[in-house]
Amino acid sequence: MNKKNSLKFTLIRGAAALGIALLVAFLLIIVSAQGNTFGAKMSNSFAALREMLISPMFRKNGSFSLKNFCDVLAGMIPILFTGLATCVMFSANQFNLGAEGGIMLGAFVTSLVAIYVKIPGPLLPIVAIAIGALSVGVMMLIPSVLKAKLGVSEMVNSLMLNYVVMYFINYLMNSYLADTSKGITQTYPYQSNALLPQMIDNGSRLSWGWAVGIVCVILVWLFMYRTRWGYSIRMAGINADFTKYSGMNTFLIIVLSQVIGGILAGMGGGIETLGRYTEYNWSSLPGYGWTGITVAILAGNNPAFVPLAAFFMSYLTKGCTLMATNAGVPAQLISIIQAVIFIFFAAKQFLSGYRQKLVVQSAQEEIAAAKAAEGGSN
Amino acid sequence: MSEEYVIQMNGITKVYPNGVVANQDVEFNVRKGEIHALMGENGAGKSTLMKMLFGLEQPTSGEIKVNGEVVNLSSPTVAISKGIGMVHQHFMLVPSLTVAENMVLGMVPTTSGFLIDGKKAVEITEEYSKKFNLPVDANARVADIPVGMKQKVEILKALVRGAKILILDEPTAVLTTQETTELFHELKNLKNQGYTLIFISHKLNEIMEITDRMTILRGGRSMGVYNTSEVDEEKISRLMVGRDVVLTVEKEKAAPSDTVLKVRDLEYVNEWGKKMLNKVSFNVRKGEILGIAGVEGNGQKELVDMLFGFNTPNAGTIEVNGEQTLGMNQHQLRERHVSLVPEDRMLYGIAADGSIEENILSDRCADPRFNKGILFDMNAIHEESDRLIKDYTVLCKSRDQKVGMLSGGNIQKVVVAREFSNSPQLIIADQPTRGIDVGATEFIRKKLVELSRSGIAVLLVSADLNEVMELSDSLIIMCGGEISAYFEDTSELSDEMMGRYMLGIAHQTPEEIRRVCHE
Repeated sequence: MNKKNSLKFTLIRGAAALGIALLVAFLLIIVSAQGNTFGAKMSNSFAALREMLISPMFRKNGSFSLKNFCDVLAGMIPILFTGLATCVMFSANQFNLGAEGGIMLGAFVTSLVAIYVKIPGPLLPIVAIAIGALSVGVMMLIPSVLKAKLGVSEMVNSLMLNYVVMYFINYLMNSYLADTSKGITQTYPYQSNALLPQMIDNGSRLSWGWAVGIVCVILVWLFMYRTRWGYSIRMAGINADFTKYSGMNTFLIIVLSQVIGGILAGMGGGIETLGRYTEYNWSSLPGYGWTGITVAILAGNNPAFVPLAAFFMSYLTKGCTLMATNAGVPAQLISIIQAVIFIFFAAKQFLSGYRQKLVVQSAQEEIAAAKAAEGGSN
Repeated sequence: MSEEYVIQMNGITKVYPNGVVANQDVEFNVRKGEIHALMGENGAGKSTLMKMLFGLEQPTSGEIKVNGEVVNLSSPTVAISKGIGMVHQHFMLVPSLTVAENMVLGMVPTTSGFLIDGKKAVEITEEYSKKFNLPVDANARVADIPVGMKQKVEILKALVRGAKILILDEPTAVLTTQETTELFHELKNLKNQGYTLIFISHKLNEIMEITDRMTILRGGRSMGVYNTSEVDEEKISRLMVGRDVVLTVEKEKAAPSDTVLKVRDLEYVNEWGKKMLNKVSFNVRKGEILGIAGVEGNGQKELVDMLFGFNTPNAGTIEVNGEQTLGMNQHQLRERHVSLVPEDRMLYGIAADGSIEENILSDRCADPRFNKGILFDMNAIHEESDRLIKDYTVLCKSRDQKVGMLSGGNIQKVVVAREFSNSPQLIIADQPTRGIDVGATEFIRKKLVELSRSGIAVLLVSADLNEVMELSDSLIIMCGGEISAYFEDTSELSDEMMGRYMLGIAHQTPEEIRRVCHE
């Protein structure tokens, strides 16, 4: 297929997947909308849809809502990192699902440093996040080395590891670390110099961590497309036998991709917790890892598209929250919409008939061009 | 006119999802009761056409008629119900079941509704075996019977299912001469009983011997239909290949010097306990091409795997430039300037979804020439890929084009461009021109000769007799995991003589073979 048709197909396919997902969402909104008459139901549904699609950016009177928009940007932070983490791991064809536990462990370890280690000034958050990130990198050695050495499925391992991490943290919290003066299980507060500065102080918790996230996008892109290690990771994702035959270190590729994924997820956890909270209180998996998988798939495993995909997912989440508070539609809808988008993007055969048509068209154009060239030379 | 055709395939075009145009407006008509040859080089589109006739693939456009009626062959089940049967080149039999059990697979006779009636299965097998004069041993396990009998089982399997039209995909490729003669006798027999046979092959002499008419394919297009009695071998080869000249590569006499590759007493027993390599020893010297000829499956694949670190032998030694390389991985071997053009280029040779540039970069991505600090030097990489694309005349739109989108010949050019250009001292070329077009074949062969004359040691493994005889300075023949002959000079060799050694009819003395070690 030529470039033009290939781009056309990608765009149409993406738009179609989104369109169908929104259609399904709308049908579900209608079903769950309040109102006794059909007319009331419909007007409520449209009000709800408006909340979901427009309110994250604009007020009722049509003016730009900086607060809501900052909320959307702040919501991007954790999924930017888990999205990048998943991108790197999936690029190597390593289906590691440990970004979920990774972000939780990263947040937890960062929190411990931020509470208990006395480091002066702005050095504290940097050291805390770095240690949090590295701890997840070490955690990812478990599924990756097992895969590289023994061929154990990294998918099963990393998936189970999420729960090991979660219950281990809960155990430590409940047994040793909880601030018993509080009603819920949470740690003692972070030292004040550990908190990340906010970009805009309007209560939306948009910390400078967002900017760090964007810098990481650029760094990860450079790593994947402009260094030999990133190149090896991508080639291994296409054809692992080819990388072995070419003399690349397949063991290193498997381990490195997952350790880097772990570091990114852990970093996301540290930045999220120091940017948004004043103490650690996650007692269950936060869900950012799962959303990160959707982000990576939406971005086609290309780091450059991760901010876009993360923005989209964050926007939808904010929209659904607003819809739930202002229009009485259950917020769980977001999970359904995510699932529908996921299904259509992940479905390799979705619109394959249309793709085949474009392939045939391109092939025929090429044949015609070749014929014309032949005719010209004779 | 049309009623005499049992099969009419009109205007068939097939575009695969990866964009490869395998068939283009092909006409293929078969008369009732004839043996019709479908000829063409590897990659000419024969298999694709037959897959569509057997319902394994669907045409992008065009129509298929069976007995004058337009049919939609959506699956092999439909094709079988229309009386079309296929004997695959790689047998589709269950090795652990008996011949009779394989025969009735999918249509198992039962007693009282659910128990398999083994006796009935044997009866059916023996009945058909007798009727068509295709002797098989109904009670033997398929794993234990010889290749020739497996093929008979395949043919009978199709006949039991009511096939009136049989597609035979390169049926002689796996057979010995005697078995081939026997098969031809049986095929003629079937023809006399009114069956229609489609015979896929690229062996000219067989086609001349057995077929009535032939359709020739080249590059996915039909080159016409001919009566076998009215064409000669030269004309067919011209139509198949597109020019009269038989490929000849001019080369000066080799002046071999120091030994580069030294293999001694290599032995290997595979996981099923079969001895695949037995005391294999040879040397390859600078400036010479040593060819390894032999029927496929006689240890060549295992030997190449050992040489390139994919497998370890049970005994023996391998040295490159005097250094023991056994147990080294591909990275270490490449550091010692060993290159491999792999037999299966799609599996090892390329990353199909990667660009041409990314495929060229693979063995040299850590080379300081292409790195500035931790980042790639993209300019140097672009320069290298553009240079190699030009030097190896890779037909493509740009270096960013996906390799998987190229034709087989151009894919192989990307592989050799990489393998030949990183200052190799030993090149192992395993089936370097299999299934690729004439232009690319000629180019790669010339390049191999050129490189060897510039002082590189070349080990050429090929099942293509013309190729090994044409290119090799000296030649060994492998049969049953052993070297059965060594010829210091290939110029006086004849096909017949090589055939005898390849099939194990003749065997040189150990002393004669030992000469290849140059000691």
